[in-house]
Amino acid sequence: MISYILRRLAISVVVLFLATIMVFILVAESGNPLALLRENPHTPKSTILAREKLLHLNDPLWQRYWIWLSHAIHGDFGPTVAGQPVGPQLTAHLYVTLRMVILATILSIFLAISIGVIAALRQGKATDHVATFTNFLFLAAPTFVVGILLKQFVAIPINLHLNRTIFYTNGDQSPTLTGSFWQRLPDYAGHTVLPTICLILVTYSSWAIYQRSSILDTLDSDHVRLARAKGIKPRRVLMRHVLRNALIPVTTVIALDFAGVLGGAVITEIVFGWQGLGVWFLNGVTNLDVNITLAYLLITAVIVILFNLMADIIYAFLDPRIRYD
Amino acid sequence: MRRSRRWMAAVTMVGMGAILLAACSSSGSSSPTTNASSTASVKTGGTATMALDEDLAGFNINTSASNEFVLQEIMNLVWPQTYIINSNLQPVLNTALVTSVKVTTNPQTIVYTINPKAVWQDGVPINADDFIYNWQTQSGNPAYTDVGHAAYQPAGTTGYNQIASVTGSNPPGGAKCEAGSAADQNAGLCPNGDTVTVKFSTPFADYKALFGDLVPAHIGRVVGWNTGFAGPTQAISGSWYTIQSYSANSSVVLVRNPKYWSTPGKLDKIVFSFVNDDTAEVPGLQNGEFQVINPSTVNLSIVQTAQQVTGINRVTAPGLEFEHFDFNEANPYLAKLAIRQAIAYGTNRPEIIAHTIGEIDPSIKPLGNRMYVNSQAQYVDNGSQYDTVNTAKAESLLKGLGFKKGSDGYFQPNYGPEKGQDFSLQIQSTSGNTTRAQTEQLFQAQMKTIGIKITIQNYDANTFFGTNLPDGDYQIGEFAWVSSPFVSANQSIYCSYTNTNNCGQNWIHYANPQVDKLLAEGAAALSPATETAKFNAADKLLWADMATLPLYQKPQYFAFSSKYGNIVPNTSETGITWNAQAWGVKAA
Repeated sequence: MISYILRRLAISVVVLFLATIMVFILVAESGNPLALLRENPHTPKSTILAREKLLHLNDPLWQRYWIWLSHAIHGDFGPTVAGQPVGPQLTAHLYVTLRMVILATILSIFLAISIGVIAALRQGKATDHVATFTNFLFLAAPTFVVGILLKQFVAIPINLHLNRTIFYTNGDQSPTLTGSFWQRLPDYAGHTVLPTICLILVTYSSWAIYQRSSILDTLDSDHVRLARAKGIKPRRVLMRHVLRNALIPVTTVIALDFAGVLGGAVITEIVFGWQGLGVWFLNGVTNLDVNITLAYLLITAVIVILFNLMADIIYAFLDPRIRYD
Repeated sequence: MRRSRRWMAAVTMVGMGAILLAACSSSGSSSPTTNASSTASVKTGGTATMALDEDLAGFNINTSASNEFVLQEIMNLVWPQTYIINSNLQPVLNTALVTSVKVTTNPQTIVYTINPKAVWQDGVPINADDFIYNWQTQSGNPAYTDVGHAAYQPAGTTGYNQIASVTGSNPPGGAKCEAGSAADQNAGLCPNGDTVTVKFSTPFADYKALFGDLVPAHIGRVVGWNTGFAGPTQAISGSWYTIQSYSANSSVVLVRNPKYWSTPGKLDKIVFSFVNDDTAEVPGLQNGEFQVINPSTVNLSIVQTAQQVTGINRVTAPGLEFEHFDFNEANPYLAKLAIRQAIAYGTNRPEIIAHTIGEIDPSIKPLGNRMYVNSQAQYVDNGSQYDTVNTAKAESLLKGLGFKKGSDGYFQPNYGPEKGQDFSLQIQSTSGNTTRAQTEQLFQAQMKTIGIKITIQNYDANTFFGTNLPDGDYQIGEFAWVSSPFVSANQSIYCSYTNTNNCGQNWIHYANPQVDKLLAEGAAALSPATETAKFNAADKLLWADMATLPLYQKPQYFAFSSKYGNIVPNTSETGITWNAQAWGVKAA
C-alpha cells in the first residue's frame, strides 16, 4: 500500500510539473498584463519599468518559468500583477472557500446517500418519484438561479417578516463583528447558511442519482440474495452487504467531483459576495496574472490528487478484495 | 461584474486630472445632483455600510498599484485633500486643512496656508513637509527616490511634473524653520512651515487637482511610498475618519479620527463591504446589509429590481463618462473628412440612445461636446447639426468622392483596397457588453441605409484597450472616455498624434495644429473662463473635423436607505463619499 501511494505521488508530481508549464505558457502568451497600465499616458515610464522588472516580463519565457518554479518550491508564489505577494492572498481566499466547500461537501454526502438509499428502497413509489424529480431539478438548475431564489424567496422575506437580519446575502461575516467565537457564531451561521444550502443543492443531486443506481445494482447481486436467503435481518443486509458495496462507486464519483465543487463554488461565491478562491482565480485570469493562475492551479491540482489518493485508500477499507501492490 | 473593474466594471482610476477608459457599459435614470453636503437633520452615531465592487490592492491611492476608484471612496475620509470635488463637479477648498490659497502668475505660484490645528492621527502636525513629499513622489523626477533608492511608482505625474519647487515658511508660533535633511530631500525647504509656496515651471490651469490625498510624509519616508502603505496600519488619518480594520476580501471599517481638529463626522462607523457582483447590491440593500450602493455596471434589471424595494432613495445622475465612436484616420477611407462626416450624418444617435441607455434614463440626449458633458456648466452643444439623421447629405458626401452605388445598395469606392467592391468598414468594441453589442447592430443597420457595409468584431477588454486601440489595429472603435472635472487631461487624446510624448491617447491619428494650440493655451490658462473658452473652441474644431462622434453621457446609478440623510451622489472620480462625514441617521 505504501509503495503504491509513493508511486502515485511520484506520478502526480510529474503531472503537476507538466501542467504548470502548460498553464504558464498559455497565460503568459495570452497578452501583456501591463497593457492597461501602459495605455495611460500619465503613467510614468519608471513605473512601468519597475513593474516589468518585478514581474520579469522582459526575461525569456523559460527563465520566467524557472524563476517562478524555483520560488514556488519554497512556498513563494511571487507577486501579483499589482505587486502584492500571492501567498497570503491564496491562503486568505482558500480559507474562505474551504469554509463553504467542506461543510457543503460533508452535508451533500449525507444528503445524497440518504436520499439515494431511500429512493432505491422505495423504488417505483411516490417517495422515489419525488426524490428523483427533485434530484433532476437541482441537477438542471443553474447555480446562480438557485442562489438568487434563495435570496429573494428565503432570506429577504424571512428577515423582513422578523424585522431583523437572520440570513445574510453578502459576505462571509459582518465587518464589525467582535466578541468570542461563541458570540460570533450566530453571525457566521447567518452568513454561511444560504451559500452552503445553494452549494449543497447543486452538488448532492448527481451523487444521489448515482447512489440510487448503485444501491439498486447491489440489491440485485448474488451475495445480497444469499444473505437474505440465510435469513439475515433486512437492516443488517442493508448496512453490511448493500450499502458498503454500493458506496464504492459513489466514493469514486465524490472524490473526483470534489475539485469540481471547489471550482464550481465560484458562482456561489459571486452570488453571495464571498471572496473565495474561485473569484480570485477569475480575476487573475481576467488580469492575465500568471502567478495567481498558477497558484490556483497548483492548489486545486494538489487537492484533486490527494482526493483521488484518498478514494483509492477508502476502496481498500470498503472492499477487502482490493489490494494494491 | 465590474470595473475592474475592472475590467468588469473595473474602471481603473488614474488619478485626479487624468482620463481613463471604461471597460464596461450600461447605466441608470435621472435626477440632478445638488451641491448640498449637509442639509438634513441627522443624529450623531450609528453605522452606514456601503457596497464596493472590488477589494483593495493597497492604501496609497497615489501609486499605480493601488490607484482604484474604490480606494478613493475610502480615502476621501482618511487622507486630507486641499480641494474636494463637490456634487456639482466643482473643486471646493477644504478650509479645515487649508485656510487660504493665493494664486499669482509669472511664474504661476500657489501659496497655501495650512490650518495650524491640522494634525495627523499620531499628533504630528500636517505641514509643508507633507506637500514637499507629495510633490517629490509624484514629480517623475528620478532625483527623488523612495526608501532603498527605489524609483517612485506614481499613478500619474500630471501637474506635479510642472512644479519647479515646493517650499515651506512661517512655522507655527513663530518658531524657526527646521533644517530638514538631504536624505529626506527637504533640506533647506522649511519642512515645518505652515505656509507652502508652490512655484510652477510652466503654467498649469488645473492646479486644484494637486495635493489631493496627502500621504503622511513622516510615515512615508520611513516605511516607503511604493509599498509602505500596502496595509492599513501606516495609512494614518489626517481627516474625519481613521481605518479601524481592514479584512482582506471582506471589508474596511472606518471610525472617527479622535485627533480630527474640525467638525467631526456624524456616523460612528462607516463600513465598506466588498461584493463580487453588482447584481448582489440591490438584494443586500433590501436586506439591510448595505445602506448605500453605487453599482458600476447598471442595467435595466438592476434598476427595475431596485424599483421594487421600499424605503430607499434611487438617483440616476449624469456621470463624467461618455460613449463615442472613434474613427481611425490611419485607414485610407476614414482619413477622408467627407467619409467621417457621411457616417456621422447617417448615424441616428437618438435611435441608438432610445434602444440602449434610454431604457434606463429616457432623458438622455445626444452629446454635443467632447470636453464637457451635458451636466457640466461649461457644456456647449457643438454638434447639434448631427442630432438628426441626414441620409441625403450622407449619400451626397459619398457621391462627391466619386463613390458609385451598386445594385445591392452599397457604395463602391473608386480608390484604395476596396475599389470596385462594396464599401465596408469594421467596428470594434469590448465583447460581452450588451449595450455596446446593441449599439453596433443599430449602427450597422443605419449605415446600410446610407450604403456602407459594417462588420462587427469585438474583443476582450484587455485586447481591445491594451492592444488594438494603442496599436491602431481598428477602423471604427466604440468605447467610453471617463474624464475628471479637470479638463486639461483631454489634451492627450486630441493633440496631434505626431507628438507621441504628450498625445499618447490619440489613437485616431488625428492632427490639427489649431487644436494643439487651443488645448495648450487652455491647459495653461489660469482663468477658468479662458480655459473653458479654449477647450470649447478646440471641441468645435474637432466637430468640424469629425474626429470622433460622441454618442451620449452615461448616467450613474445610486440607491441608499431613506433612513439616512445627507447622502448626495457625486459622479466625479471622488465618488459618493465626498461628504460622508455629514451622513447620518435621520433625526425622528
